[in-house]
Amino acid sequence: MTNSQQAPGDGAPPSRGKIAERLLPGGEEPDPRFTLANERTFLAWIRTSLALLAGGIAIEAFTSDLFLEPVRKGLAIVLLLLGMLLSAGAALRWLRVERSMRHKAPLPLPLIVPLLAGAGAVAAAVVLVFVLWR
Amino acid sequence: MLALVTASALFLRWLPNHGLPILLLFTVSAGAALAIYLTQRRRYSARSHGVAREHVDADITAVLWTAFAGIALGALGIGVVLAG
Repeated sequence: MTNSQQAPGDGAPPSRGKIAERLLPGGEEPDPRFTLANERTFLAWIRTSLALLAGGIAIEAFTSDLFLEPVRKGLAIVLLLLGMLLSAGAALRWLRVERSMRHKAPLPLPLIVPLLAGAGAVAAAVVLVFVLWR
Repeated sequence: MLALVTASALFLRWLPNHGLPILLLFTVSAGAALAIYLTQRRRYSARSHGVAREHVDADITAVLWTAFAGIALGALGIGVVLAG
């Protein structure tokens, strides 16, 4: 049964809640497997985000004898910032994909993939240069 | 949930270096993990019944809260690094 179908004996479609109706307006409830797959993808991004947050802490806490303080702090902030952006990006992507599925539109391109790839490459390059230079 | 628990354990590793503000990070992270643990049975049940009925409502509140927890942890972490 899709959301657009009415429950037996009921005059109006079932309410989805104010937040859902505001952020996911219109369309039809997609196949539940797709909704759940979208949620799993969101959770995978959140795990990546938490790994980056933990990595930022690890850099700050455990590498005091390896990196100079400005480098250590800079790397930690880059990783923490990336973790934050990834959390926000994961939620936005979940919303955009859910909206597309409700309206049977093509799925949007994942904008957080190039962000993560670019920032990861820059962070790895900084560490590599610093380790070789040291 | 386990990733949040792991992150909260790592936050505790910061305690000797940065002091009490770390407890705020630990509380947010461990609190989010606890909230997920306490609600997972209800959410699993709703999802499995939803699959059987072929109708699952998108859990937008849970998604927004989880994303907010990640953003808050990052912001607090940056604050601690800059202050320390």
